[in-house]
Amino acid sequence: MANMAVSRIKREFKEVMRSEEIVQCSIKIELVNDSWTELRGEIAGPPDTPYEGGKFVLEIKVPETYPFNPPKVRFITRIWHPNISSVTGAICLDILKDNWAAAMTLRTVLLSLQALLAAAEPDDPQDAVVAYQFKDKYDLFLLTAKHWTNAYAGGPHTFPDCDSKIQRLKDMGIDEHEARAVLSKENWNLEKATEGLFS
Amino acid sequence: MGNCLKISRSDDISLLRGNDSINGQNSGTQPLYHQDEQYQPVFYPTTSASSNRTPSINRQLSDENQVKIAKRIGLMQHLPIGTYDGSSKKVRECVICMAEFCVDESVRYLPCMHIYHVKCIDDWLLRSLTCPSCLEPVDAALLTSYEST
Repeated sequence: MANMAVSRIKREFKEVMRSEEIVQCSIKIELVNDSWTELRGEIAGPPDTPYEGGKFVLEIKVPETYPFNPPKVRFITRIWHPNISSVTGAICLDILKDNWAAAMTLRTVLLSLQALLAAAEPDDPQDAVVAYQFKDKYDLFLLTAKHWTNAYAGGPHTFPDCDSKIQRLKDMGIDEHEARAVLSKENWNLEKATEGLFS
Repeated sequence: MGNCLKISRSDDISLLRGNDSINGQNSGTQPLYHQDEQYQPVFYPTTSASSNRTPSINRQLSDENQVKIAKRIGLMQHLPIGTYDGSSKKVRECVICMAEFCVDESVRYLPCMHIYHVKCIDDWLLRSLTCPSCLEPVDAALLTSYEST
């Protein structure tokens, strides 16, 4: 990898390690390999959001042209959010695309992602299904996002009703993740979800 | 397509002479094109340093893009270069490479007065004509300053 990319990432790594947010356990970063091209980030779900109490793991790939081009970031932890794909974890965030600036750092990227969790932009969605639910049935969106936070990110809120519906589909031979995704998409209507799966 | 680039190049040189006398050196801007090659070779259509060895790359670029890049390089060369004297206590590192400035190192000043290593900022400006720190557009400020002088 180009020298500047490596030396920048090394410096940034130190910066994150010294930062206030590490002390508060709100962000975390670790190396995946020795070449400094791939890192693992972690952000805590912001308070007063359906993601509160969850820890979300991120894949961070540093391009050779860093910092002239943004790092490639996606969620490894599954998450229900209008600007993040519930299937791939791909993120729709301007600073990770056209609005990237060379002065931004891994720390500011992680903090921006945390801010994105606190302030979704459903009019610029990455996941159209989630965005539609966010705008059309906000209560169900909150429930689904909290349920996903519990199921995948260690969040505190459990929803026995959701769990029993997922179990019903599992009993029919459906994979748990698929069952959860379909039920979430169908606003937890078991009939519609079953119909969608078996028709 | 070589012709239009030559026109813009000779234009740059005439303007650059003014710069040279102020800065006392132009050598600081030259290595940037070599440096840049490792990142994005396609950005090389205009420089004398590379014109004789990148014909195939030139062909891949649309005329429109070449003119755009040529104009951009021309614009960039009007941004003043100075040497870091260490007097500014606030600005101690180049936020692009995150390395500390050394005294007497060449730095480029943007209209917003943010400073960077010449090769760092030139590489960035080829991609985006904004200040990496404050996102202030560089070209608008430059054009205004021309109109007023």
